[in-house]
Amino acid sequence: MSVRDVLLQIAQVVTVLVLAPLLQGVILQWEERIQRGRGPGIFQPYRDLRKLFGKQIVVPNTASWIYWCAPVVAFTCMMTVPILIPVLTDFPLPLSDMGDILGGGLILTLGSFAIVLAGLDSGSAYGGIGSSRSVMLGILVEPTLILVLVGITLLAKAMLPFVVNHLLVQQPSAYWSPAHLLLVFAFFVLLLVETDRLPIHSSTHIEVYMIEEARILEYSGPLLALLKWASMMKQFVLFTIFCNVLTLPWGLSQHGTAIGALAAAAGLFVRMLVVALVVVFVETAQSRLRFFRYQEPLAASFMLAVLAIAANQLR
Amino acid sequence: MLLAHLSPLAASLFSLLAIGSLLLAFVMLGSHWLKDYLLAFMAESWLIAILSGAVGYYGNYHELYLVAVLTAFFRGLVLPYLIWRIIARLSVERELHVTLQPSSCLVLGAFLVLFAFVVSNHLGNSLGLGGTVVVLALTVMLSMKLIGFLMLAVRQEAISQVLGLLVLENGIFLGSQILVPGMPLLIELVLLFDLLVIVVSFGVLVRYLVAHVGSTSSRELRRLVG
Amino acid sequence: MVEAWLVIVVIAPVLSAAVAGASQHGRMAEYANLVAAAVCLIASLWLVVHFDGARTFINDYVLFDALGAWTLVCTCVVYCLASIYAVGYMRLLREEEARLPGFYALFSLFAATMICGPLMNNIGVYWIAIELTTLVSTFLVGFDRGQEAIEAAWKYIIVVSAGISLALLGTVIFYWAGSLVLGPTYDMTWETLRHAAPRMSPALTQTAFLLVLVGYGTKAGLAPMHTWLPDAHSEGPAPVSAMLSGALLNTAMLGVARFLTITDAASGSLLPRTVLVAFGAFSLFVATLFIVRQQGIKRLMAYSSVEHMGVLALGLGFGGPLAIAAVLYHMLNHSLNKSLMFFGAGNVMRVYGTKDIDAIHGVWSRFPVTGALWIAGAVAITGAPPFGLFLSELALMRAGFATPNAWAVIVLLLLLIVIFIGFLNHFRTMYFDTQRPTAASVPVTSGVNVSTWMTLPMWLALLPVFVLGIWWPQELWRFFETVAADLGGGMR
Repeated sequence: MSVRDVLLQIAQVVTVLVLAPLLQGVILQWEERIQRGRGPGIFQPYRDLRKLFGKQIVVPNTASWIYWCAPVVAFTCMMTVPILIPVLTDFPLPLSDMGDILGGGLILTLGSFAIVLAGLDSGSAYGGIGSSRSVMLGILVEPTLILVLVGITLLAKAMLPFVVNHLLVQQPSAYWSPAHLLLVFAFFVLLLVETDRLPIHSSTHIEVYMIEEARILEYSGPLLALLKWASMMKQFVLFTIFCNVLTLPWGLSQHGTAIGALAAAAGLFVRMLVVALVVVFVETAQSRLRFFRYQEPLAASFMLAVLAIAANQLR
Repeated sequence: MLLAHLSPLAASLFSLLAIGSLLLAFVMLGSHWLKDYLLAFMAESWLIAILSGAVGYYGNYHELYLVAVLTAFFRGLVLPYLIWRIIARLSVERELHVTLQPSSCLVLGAFLVLFAFVVSNHLGNSLGLGGTVVVLALTVMLSMKLIGFLMLAVRQEAISQVLGLLVLENGIFLGSQILVPGMPLLIELVLLFDLLVIVVSFGVLVRYLVAHVGSTSSRELRRLVG
Repeated sequence: MVEAWLVIVVIAPVLSAAVAGASQHGRMAEYANLVAAAVCLIASLWLVVHFDGARTFINDYVLFDALGAWTLVCTCVVYCLASIYAVGYMRLLREEEARLPGFYALFSLFAATMICGPLMNNIGVYWIAIELTTLVSTFLVGFDRGQEAIEAAWKYIIVVSAGISLALLGTVIFYWAGSLVLGPTYDMTWETLRHAAPRMSPALTQTAFLLVLVGYGTKAGLAPMHTWLPDAHSEGPAPVSAMLSGALLNTAMLGVARFLTITDAASGSLLPRTVLVAFGAFSLFVATLFIVRQQGIKRLMAYSSVEHMGVLALGLGFGGPLAIAAVLYHMLNHSLNKSLMFFGAGNVMRVYGTKDIDAIHGVWSRFPVTGALWIAGAVAITGAPPFGLFLSELALMRAGFATPNAWAVIVLLLLLIVIFIGFLNHFRTMYFDTQRPTAASVPVTSGVNVSTWMTLPMWLALLPVFVLGIWWPQELWRFFETVAADLGGGMR
């Protein structure tokens, strides 16, 4: 429990805080570029957040204390998860055994749940639609997410993400085993769904398609900034889990020096850019699915997770 | 026995190919379009041919090279070509009516795989070979069978049912390559040609279906009851 | 000499298929088929009469044992009778004169594949023979090219192919179980497996047997895998139905019997036999339900086939010399009797122009002689004395009481009574019911005469059933004992 470790832990949270909007900006910029537009620049989310923090809060009459709490709860959850997962270092830092992989997943869900409640709280129709759709998606996504996390656990026979990371770095045979590859694909589908990418979300703001934006329609000012930042951090955290725990587990700092931490942060961002490139391609290549067909990619992900668990027992 | 002295690399190669074939069977289960079926079946046959060659290489069964080449040629090229010709002559391109949504089929298929795994694990443990490629081979063989039966039960197009039957045969072939690579060559070759005859007969029957019944969907075949 | 006769019995139908396929007129094809069928019958009878121990030929690929010889006789008898009948029956299809050579070619080919089946020593080649019978008979079932016929042919090939792929899986697992004991490559003959059986893993052999049972049970028509049977047997032309019911089902049960011997030697548990008995009892139950409420004349006969296959399964499951003897006797009597029933049904269908039981009436007054034959056959097939099926079912029940599965005998007894009543009730309405409202009275198609070709086989089928019903020859007992010794002891 040295000072250095505590500083590293804080640095992990700060990394997530600071770099999350950059990732979102990069993804949006690349999407525009691929579609032959100019794009708003990769720093646009920072500008948006700064603008929102300076705006006035307009509160609906029907809002209750949930309206005020939800953004704070969501933001706090998203700041808690980086404590539990390997972001910069590949050894456990203080308080990182507060929760294991499953706990991390549950805290992420808690954040989404708070926003769902907020959507319902103000009593507007659009909030209701957004919340109900998001809960429906949650019913489809949660079992698969838990199965994938269980699969990861069975892969390394341990519940801590750090052990999984070590296993995949040290044993190429475990990296290339069918169980691991299937889990990568299953988690990728979940990544697309949880971060609201196509084929689930629509890029327009037409009400009938909205899921994410409908829930936060009633918010303004700093609260809206907190919510947007929270969703960007969720995307960053999921990307981090995908890279550091599953797909590209190399490049984490092993000794915890300052230079090492900075290099790890940079390396993490570069690896995330690789994943972001794939996400951008996948998103550009498809169109939005009809609502009743949302189950199809999720059923495929479920099946892949089950296959991974079965394949894991046969190694 | 071959499986008792398998190197880890060989074991992981076999398991990769077997799981890949199972995955392709799921792709067949979850797709709407007949062309997608056919392509998945082709890919699956090629994977099984590669597996056959790999088993021949690691186990020094040189006749399996011939089997692998013939499988790749007949199961991977000739059969899909014949079926493609049948599809091209029909006016259907996809399953029009679904008894069970593809996504539910996928989930059901996942549970069938779990069931097959439990059975194979039990068998493997009773033989003392639990935890090796044997259990994997048995699991994949049984689950491809179960998925094939699911396809037969759920699909209504004649071509889908034919492909379901071929998936059944593919499953047995996959299992037999890993479990009994020493099976007499004659049997394997005759089984291969037997498949060819079956598909040709199916082609003729589908033509009769179109000519006399008017459609290839089994929803129209409801006149014989009781 | 045995080799010569075996070659003849296999080559004759193949040659006749070639001749029929090449001929232009129906007459040439008919006579080629008839000659081949007669030759086959003589050959198979000679082979059974002069049987002196199991032999293998052609490098162990062909096996000639007692059980195979007996199945061969049943097949050839049905082939011969059906060929005689087909001459008259198919001539009534005047508008399809040009398709007759094709029909006889397929017919002979079908008989050839069915004759090859029991002779195969290799379990893989046996599977291939069964698969070939399915392929050839599909086209025979769909020969009519009507909507129902094609539907029946499609259902037949899909269900049976799926079923016997399960049997292939079972075969592969049997081979694997053997390879754990005998090494990776060995001859997959029945004998080799039986010798290696005591060292094979019990769990594996039991799983493999269950798969084979379900697989070949689909082919044999055991419930609940029988769904193709009523359609296929009722939509094909009558001679084809007779061949399917009388010959093909036996060939599939042969596989089950042989695999059961291997399983018995491998594991001492009673589970495989109990499952076989359960399938048999369930087939009887399903057949009873559908016989009582049946509306089509040929579907009625088809369900009767399901019933008799259930009885065969019961007998095989009981095991032991008495039960095996009963099973073999039952096989022969059933083949003869079922052919008789299908021939009668075919005659009635051609004359009345319909398959519905409700639309057929006054058979007794229209056909005194063949009608008498047909109703005698109906009495016989439901197991009444003084016909052969009564003796075999009685022996079966006696054997069953000595086994742990005696409950099946009670079930058999009750269901046979119900079948007797239901089956003969249909015949009563067709023959004697003159007070029935004939609102949809179908006029008897005049000019359709039932020729001698169509009545002679009925005589030829009924007389042996009658004779075998009052006299069970001693030589047959000794022959059956050989078979029972081959198949091993039963449940104790």
